[in-house]
Amino acid sequence: MSEFRYVTKGINRTDGELIVTGRARYTADIELPGMLVAKILRSPYPHAKIKGINTDKAKGLEGVKAVITGADIGYRRFSFIDTPAFPADQTPLAVDKVRFAGEEVAAVAAINQVIAAKALDLIEVEYEELPSVFDPEEAMKEGAPAVHEIIEPNTTTAWEDFGVPPSKARPYKTVNNISNKALIEYGDIEKGFEEAEHIREDRFEIPSTSHMAMEPHVAVANYLPTGKLDVWLTHMGYEHKRFWLAKLLDIPISRVRVHKTYVGGAFGGKISIFPFEFIAAYLSMITLRPVKITLPREEVFAGCPPSRRMIVYLKTGVKKDGRITAQQVKVIDDVGAYRRSSPTALYLAHVFRNPIYNIPNLKHEGYGAYTNKLYTTAKRGHGLPQMVFAVEAQLDMICDELGLDKVEMRLKNFRKKGDTLPNGDKLRSYGLPECLKEAAEKIGWKEKYGKEKFRGLGIGTASMFSGAHNFPFSSAAMIRLNHDGRMILFTGQTEFGNGVDTVMAQIAAEVLNCPLDYIVVNSGDSEVSPQDVGNWLSGGIFVSGEAVRRAALDLRDQMLKHAAAGLDIPVEDLDMKDGWIMPVSDGSKKLSFSDMSRYGIQMAGGDPLIGKGYVKCVPEVHFWKGKYNKTASLSTGRGRFTEAYGLTLAIAHVEVNPETGEVSILEIVVADDCGTPINVKSVEGQIMSQAVMGIGDVFYEEVRINNGIVMNPNLLDYRVPTANDIPKITSILVDSYEPNGPFGAKEVGESPRAAVISAISNAICNAIGERIYDLPMTSDRIKRALRSKRA
Amino acid sequence: MKKDGISRGKDMKRSVLLTVNGERHEVFIGPNLTLLELLREELNLKGAKEACGIGACGACTVLMDGKPVNACIVLALEAEGKEIETIEGLAKGNELHPLQRSFIDHYSFQCGFCTPGTIMTAKAFLHRNPEPSRDEVKNGIAGNICRCTGYENIVDGILNAAKEM
Repeated sequence: MSEFRYVTKGINRTDGELIVTGRARYTADIELPGMLVAKILRSPYPHAKIKGINTDKAKGLEGVKAVITGADIGYRRFSFIDTPAFPADQTPLAVDKVRFAGEEVAAVAAINQVIAAKALDLIEVEYEELPSVFDPEEAMKEGAPAVHEIIEPNTTTAWEDFGVPPSKARPYKTVNNISNKALIEYGDIEKGFEEAEHIREDRFEIPSTSHMAMEPHVAVANYLPTGKLDVWLTHMGYEHKRFWLAKLLDIPISRVRVHKTYVGGAFGGKISIFPFEFIAAYLSMITLRPVKITLPREEVFAGCPPSRRMIVYLKTGVKKDGRITAQQVKVIDDVGAYRRSSPTALYLAHVFRNPIYNIPNLKHEGYGAYTNKLYTTAKRGHGLPQMVFAVEAQLDMICDELGLDKVEMRLKNFRKKGDTLPNGDKLRSYGLPECLKEAAEKIGWKEKYGKEKFRGLGIGTASMFSGAHNFPFSSAAMIRLNHDGRMILFTGQTEFGNGVDTVMAQIAAEVLNCPLDYIVVNSGDSEVSPQDVGNWLSGGIFVSGEAVRRAALDLRDQMLKHAAAGLDIPVEDLDMKDGWIMPVSDGSKKLSFSDMSRYGIQMAGGDPLIGKGYVKCVPEVHFWKGKYNKTASLSTGRGRFTEAYGLTLAIAHVEVNPETGEVSILEIVVADDCGTPINVKSVEGQIMSQAVMGIGDVFYEEVRINNGIVMNPNLLDYRVPTANDIPKITSILVDSYEPNGPFGAKEVGESPRAAVISAISNAICNAIGERIYDLPMTSDRIKRALRSKRA
Repeated sequence: MKKDGISRGKDMKRSVLLTVNGERHEVFIGPNLTLLELLREELNLKGAKEACGIGACGACTVLMDGKPVNACIVLALEAEGKEIETIEGLAKGNELHPLQRSFIDHYSFQCGFCTPGTIMTAKAFLHRNPEPSRDEVKNGIAGNICRCTGYENIVDGILNAAKEM
């Protein structure tokens, strides 16, 4: 591979100066003239009828400009995933009943925080408590309190709005609190288990953890008298937010502008539309003043969805030599009060991990169960960490029982480069075996495994998509040439710590072979950029980065064409370097980029030289006026999912203190296949970030809910890793090249977390010789496991 | 108190003089206002952030007479007559402070939300301990939560800045 000028280099963030001087503008920093502050009244009960709400006293308080309840806006429904089979079940404010403690019941807009808070106290709500159900398996039994009954769509569903075929919205009759189901099968599961020479069945349980992004959720909305809505949000991609705001407010999508702001971390917790965002927009619309809602951290913990609570029943059959013959999965997704993204999660729990092991006979059943608790959402891996936790734990137990080497057994079962998955996705790049070999060597697996008492080694795997055919299905970018010979690049990508401006500039500058500061990046403004898939489908680099590359190529071609005409030399004989275009043979006859701008205007009829590039997430998949091809089905798993998978393999080495149950992590090695790293510092940052986040998942983090109430909704009771908790972490980038990605690049932002969680978990269980089936692995749980082993 | 939201009696505001980043300010504030609210809302210095509201994360760290404080749990009135330093006062005109320069060079931030607080903590820390070990730095910033970087790059950034300070 030829030497790159910018790609793979650890270029400093081009917007670094803004961040270190405190000048980067986050939504929490936005102040607009005449701005009102809004606050939300939330239900104290996990399940109750709303008999009546009296807002008169609140409305009468001086300084209060609006008070709204479900009677005003409850007719609007929304969800993260809204399909004809699973129509939206959530309203921005509760209408006839509340389904979880913390549900939004009313909202106030006032001239300041103090008055808004006082007004909330003056709202009188009459509740009639209903019996609640908190356990998902109890909720699915006959006779359990019904969280939802019939969900009757009152508009087209989002899927229909997007044009996804083939069906129309229909009422969803909730039976036994099941919010949605999935069944993915291939091969012959019965035959697969008959062929097995050893079978294990286990149950695993993974709790919710909070994203705990440093920036709390906040929204500013400004509805203008011209009928346009400006918003500043905390998000991971404006297309989804804009679509829902437009739909819920009956405004055309093109009249909703999501402005660029820096986002203080997201990790999956800021993807879909939230009630507070819609409430801010609606309040702005009725008051005709800007409205800001800032959620205090307690409301983020107790009112915004954390990651999924999942129960995984896993049955795996293997031959004595370790080859997997069959695997049967039953996943129960404890959805909470609203379905949100459960249909996707049940599907992703399979498709995300599909590239890892070659399982010839598989049955994957998923059930979403409604309960009267805070609903859940995606968190960095969305279902993968939960599945991998279970699968890798069981594989280790199987190896222990059959006396198999844990590294060799996995290598035996990994898929291969060039494989086609059962759904048709191709593994054109696949570095997982190399990841395992290199990580095992780096950590000293052979030398250390099984050698020391109360020390253990564990392996974790992960794979992750690089974009998928979800709205808006494609990314596009534009790059325009200015009079000064420099470029402005327009991309819809969102900045929440991923360094998008820098990485996209690197890609464009690489193509144009110009100094990096020739590229000014305008990112994340919905009115300025063409469509963009955002950064929550893990397609930032693979899809949007490739769109940028193609836009730069298009501009390059246009400039060369004009230069060829201007110099009267064929295009093939021209070279482009450092902002100049010159014939290869004669460097003196050169034209600057600035000359090309002038040429376009003066000699080519005013041509502004704007490069355009676009990429579909999955080119093979399409739908148009009733015709469609290979679209993915969330409930059956059939159809194409993604064009490339990022892969990670982590190994952890730990030591357990048998008296205290405390664990010290001696070392973690994370080997990753992200294809070509566009910015190596950025990629290493993603890996490090997820390793530390994984430490939190294994040892401390859990959103504890008791009788429907979140018990630890603050940073003293919810512990996250600090600088004192960091062990030795080594990252390895294996040599790999993804042919369809820009310069060979693909995903890295989500897959390491799952691998690290299961690596550490497996290492702990290896150290104590006992299996713990849930998280977090607190010292109490470890001591209990050791005691049960001694018994 | 009458239910009209207007301050009276014990909520009476008064005039307070304080110095922020070397500039003297006179503000008219009530007794309940926090230092963080004073900085962000009265003085429009948005660098210090609220991330937890209970002094548990360090995102609001500013220096008060050279000592790092969690501004969200310090009353604004406590700052009367004191010298407050925020991230906005670190750079001298066009010239970044060594910590700022080093954070950029060592990829010590991703989303940047914890960065102003962490840099201010680091500044005070290096003043007390100009040649720290790696572990001492980790301990020094243990009160600054970062969810993005995994901390190692932050430690690198601080150690490197220490050499130039």
